[in-house]
Amino acid sequence: MGSYETLRVALAIAAKDLLVEQRTKTAFFSSLVFAILVLTILYFARDATAVSDLDLAPGALWVTFTFAGMLGLNRAFLLERENRAVDGLRLSPATPTGIFLGKVLGNLVFVGVVELVSLPLFILFYDVPIWRQLGLLLLVIFLATTGFVAVGTLFSAIVVRTRFSEVMLPVLLLPFLFPPIVAAVQLTRRIVALRPFDELTGWLSMLAAFVVIFFFLSLLLFEAILEE
Amino acid sequence: MTHADPSLTLHGVFRRFGYRWVVRDVSLDVAHGEAVLLVGGNGAGKTTLLRVVSGLLKASKGRVERQGAVGMVAHHTMMYDALTARENLRFFGRLHGRSDRTRIDALLDRMGLLHVGDERIGTFSRGMLQRLAIARALLPEPRVLLLDEPLTGLDDSASRTVVEVLAELKRGGAGMMIASHQLVELVGSADRVGYMVGGRMAALEPCGDAGQVVQRYRELADRG
Repeated sequence: MGSYETLRVALAIAAKDLLVEQRTKTAFFSSLVFAILVLTILYFARDATAVSDLDLAPGALWVTFTFAGMLGLNRAFLLERENRAVDGLRLSPATPTGIFLGKVLGNLVFVGVVELVSLPLFILFYDVPIWRQLGLLLLVIFLATTGFVAVGTLFSAIVVRTRFSEVMLPVLLLPFLFPPIVAAVQLTRRIVALRPFDELTGWLSMLAAFVVIFFFLSLLLFEAILEE
Repeated sequence: MTHADPSLTLHGVFRRFGYRWVVRDVSLDVAHGEAVLLVGGNGAGKTTLLRVVSGLLKASKGRVERQGAVGMVAHHTMMYDALTARENLRFFGRLHGRSDRTRIDALLDRMGLLHVGDERIGTFSRGMLQRLAIARALLPEPRVLLLDEPLTGLDDSASRTVVEVLAELKRGGAGMMIASHQLVELVGSADRVGYMVGGRMAALEPCGDAGQVVQRYRELADRG
């Protein structure tokens, strides 16, 4: 199967996942409600005289994105478990690479929409001056989300065979998310503090390296996970 | 029918789960246009053998050679409840590079589902789902068709439709393996019968009528 065919399969799978989500809407609304709830609770729980908005904002943002995204990732392979649809995928000429890329793409759009909807709330609550560096913040969000979704998709495929997949996913996934999330928090802290770009390059390179490594490792391991 | 050019060949296939051997040393050829009916009690290894033949499970030992696309009907529909019948077929058609509307409508029509093509399959009865699963299996124009209890949940009329479709596919040169307990309906479609006992193919013989098949199976099962 050539790269065009792989891309065609990936797009078909992503479109199918998003259509199913659009029909059911369960994962999207639970992720969105969770994101709004966490941002609100963290905002009102803080002591404004002890912790400034700028100190709290990066952590609040990434706690929200990580856990809201995880709620969505769980559904990625639950869909395929239903009626053993995954067997239908495996009987088709679709390669594991095509299936993985399709799943990642669908999850990326799903998590990205949740993030984009909750980002204005974050800006409103924490009054962070990010307009001048919004492009940079979006780049960090995109990179960290891609790494997070790639590993999350792999683990979602692993835990879907277990009886308590909803509980197992965060337990297995969180240790692997530590490096990219720390990098993303560090970068967000510098971006909201309007630090010069020079101070970002180290963390940005580290985040990009994590994303590339995580993405390709997940892709390599996915074939073994998909079999049997 | 020629055995010199099989659509499917199994060479000493074994499969185990943990320490339990579920399929043991099964070898056979299925020619183009030939149907082999697998007969056996529960746990005889029929479903596992079909999953190994399809490629969904790896053989623990031995190998399987398939000529052309494989279509499979299993216990599960392998489709998505939230999508309509047409959307499901279009999705799997896209994976196979066969998503043209005419073909999908023709398959829905053949299986008597055209009028419910735009309804979500989560609302379908067991028989409708089974017919849709058969339509999905036929999407890639398979040269090898694997059917695990294909008549489950079907009424007489739908069963007859499926038997007719199988006959058309045989005439078109597809090789088939069919596992079923519904012998009366399916013996007419089969050329040979493989009797599965304890994971082994105890015998592979020309197909007689349903009574003869049952009698022969009992003899082999009693022998163990």
